[in-house]
Amino acid sequence: MSQPAKTSSAVSEHQRTSQQRPIAHDCTPSLAPRPQSRWPGANWFRNPFGELTRSERAELAVVSIDEIVAAIGHRSDADGKIVFQARCAYQLIGECGRGKTTRMLALHKRFPSASYVYLPEDQPCPSIPTGDPLLIDEAQRLPWRIRRKVLASGVPLVVATHNDLSGPLRRAGYTVTTERIGLSLSVTQLTEILNRRITASRRDPLRPVPRIGQDDAAELIRRFGTDVRSIESYLYDIVQAQVNQHGEMRFID
Amino acid sequence: MAKCDLSIELDHPDRVYVGGDKITGTLHVLADADVNCKGLEISSGWRTHGRGNVARGTTETVTLFVGQWSAGQRESYRFELEVAAWPPSYHGKYINVDHYIDARAKIPWAFDPKATAEFVMRPTSGPDHSDSPTATAVGGCIGYGLVILVLGMMAVGLGFLVVAFVVNPFAGLIAAGIIMPLMGLIAAKKLLPKWLLGNVHVDLITPQVAPGGRVRAQLAFQPKRRFTINSISAELTGMEVCVSGSGSNRTTHRNTFFTDRHELEGAATLHAGDRKEFNLDFPIPDDVPYSFDLSDNDLVWTIELRVDIPRWPDWTHSLKLLVAPDGRSGERLEPAEKHLALDAADAVPPADSPAADEITFAETATHLWNSRNEDDQLYRLVEAVTGMTFEIDTLIERRLLYSGEEDPHVYKDGYAVWARHTDPPLPLVLYIPHELADEFEQAGHDQWRCRGTIVGWDHPHRRLQIKVLVR
Repeated sequence: MSQPAKTSSAVSEHQRTSQQRPIAHDCTPSLAPRPQSRWPGANWFRNPFGELTRSERAELAVVSIDEIVAAIGHRSDADGKIVFQARCAYQLIGECGRGKTTRMLALHKRFPSASYVYLPEDQPCPSIPTGDPLLIDEAQRLPWRIRRKVLASGVPLVVATHNDLSGPLRRAGYTVTTERIGLSLSVTQLTEILNRRITASRRDPLRPVPRIGQDDAAELIRRFGTDVRSIESYLYDIVQAQVNQHGEMRFID
Repeated sequence: MAKCDLSIELDHPDRVYVGGDKITGTLHVLADADVNCKGLEISSGWRTHGRGNVARGTTETVTLFVGQWSAGQRESYRFELEVAAWPPSYHGKYINVDHYIDARAKIPWAFDPKATAEFVMRPTSGPDHSDSPTATAVGGCIGYGLVILVLGMMAVGLGFLVVAFVVNPFAGLIAAGIIMPLMGLIAAKKLLPKWLLGNVHVDLITPQVAPGGRVRAQLAFQPKRRFTINSISAELTGMEVCVSGSGSNRTTHRNTFFTDRHELEGAATLHAGDRKEFNLDFPIPDDVPYSFDLSDNDLVWTIELRVDIPRWPDWTHSLKLLVAPDGRSGERLEPAEKHLALDAADAVPPADSPAADEITFAETATHLWNSRNEDDQLYRLVEAVTGMTFEIDTLIERRLLYSGEEDPHVYKDGYAVWARHTDPPLPLVLYIPHELADEFEQAGHDQWRCRGTIVGWDHPHRRLQIKVLVR
């Protein structure tokens, strides 16, 4: 016996309404709206708190790398350029979302001689070039055999890690400086981090964009602590919910 | 510091472009100081933005000007660029796809001035999906095979449990705590519904459908026992699925933006041997977005079939549906990634050709460089040129501390080196034999000419792999 499909005939009117209509009001069909029609009051071309490319992250980084540079390098008397010292290592230890990778990317952007290597989880170790300095992200994943090879080269190192690697580094003859990051986040710092993202998403450079105030930043730190990634994720949803609103952008409920 | 401002004026900023169209406009340049421009480039392409990792593609790049601008000089350059045929413009909650005209002036020793203009693109044809969903049938040999596999695994698990209890009761208890819930879950999800329903045949008749079209599928089964059901339903779902971060920070975000539930049968009692067949035939609204798969940014449509059995695990099955434009006729436009790849593939000899007399490495590198943001196209190109040997002008960047000892391309006692092609600056990995060590060491960071064979692509570092040959 072949039966045609009944379309929710047994479903209540309320259920039918909720089940058969598209849930999202912001999905864009084949005919997309004009790009300018999103966040009409905010002058943005995109949600500022979305994912960025690696180069954008480096460009917008609000981190100080001076301490790192001072610890493993010195200014040359001859031409004033920074010279990194062999067998010097700087170790960044911290939880996810605290700025380890951002610092590494900022270093990579400032020093073209540097090499940045990200070690993926559960995948073979990628090629590791020499660098001045060599920046290794998720360095706790470096297999013992390859770690020995890298440390034997004596290249200046900056490592971002979840585990303390000072033991192996010292045994290989490195002078190690360790910084535990993410222990504090100031209101001023967070305000700048978020406002830089906002500025980078400005549509018309001649028109203003909404700004995160110090009160908003203080409230975000109260709710999320030092986890900037969670703050950005929260703000993404807040901004997205106002995609069609003409009024003033509100960052905190 | 040399500086100039760029601005893009599209001739038809409000027009909805169709894939393959030409978009025209004017690029305005205002120089604030004397500027030596190494290349005023303008390109058409697309980018995603939102929660997921950024995906992008470039369709056409043109250099409009090379030379000097003096302070206060205003110049305007007309341009005409091809619009990508895929993906469509899309603005959702987690995923956005926008098409852009990007302009950039290459200024030595200064930040490159840039300008961007967005426009809307509506495709007339879908992507070239070789892996489009096909009709699915659960049952028959595959169904029985699955049952045998699951039963086999359960038997092995039980055997292991018995042995563990005999050898070490404490370890047996721990093993039981792990294995029993696992087996229970498998039984609940797969075997128990099948025990009542028998083999269930599902056939998606229209794996691809256009907005405004109709989805057709068939569901059939012959109950093995008498039992009651709450309902049999099919639910069409549209969902954004995107991934942000990488490695341990990788997070998947899902946003369901569309659901449409169709009840095929309400509460009823099914009798053993009484075959049930359902022909699903329901419309897709004409304003829904198309399916797309852009690396870490996917828009997926599924049909979830469910037999809701009271006080018993439900039978469920998911069908993947491709919602795409229906312009698959003679005038069908090819997807954006096709033209460059095919142009290049046509231009170069087959992969097994040992030498490439007709094409230089600079030409090959240009094709690869232009495709560097579109993985599918790039991989096709690399495949096409693998095995070809060229004279290559390189700039040595740095030696590798570790190049993967399992890498078959590394010569014994040889070196792996990162380098760049001179122009375009395509990143390379050179595998250098020990005999050439002195030669390339002396080159330092100067230009070094070598003869090498393309052997593949280094995916993590996005570099063309070249095995250098001894002359």
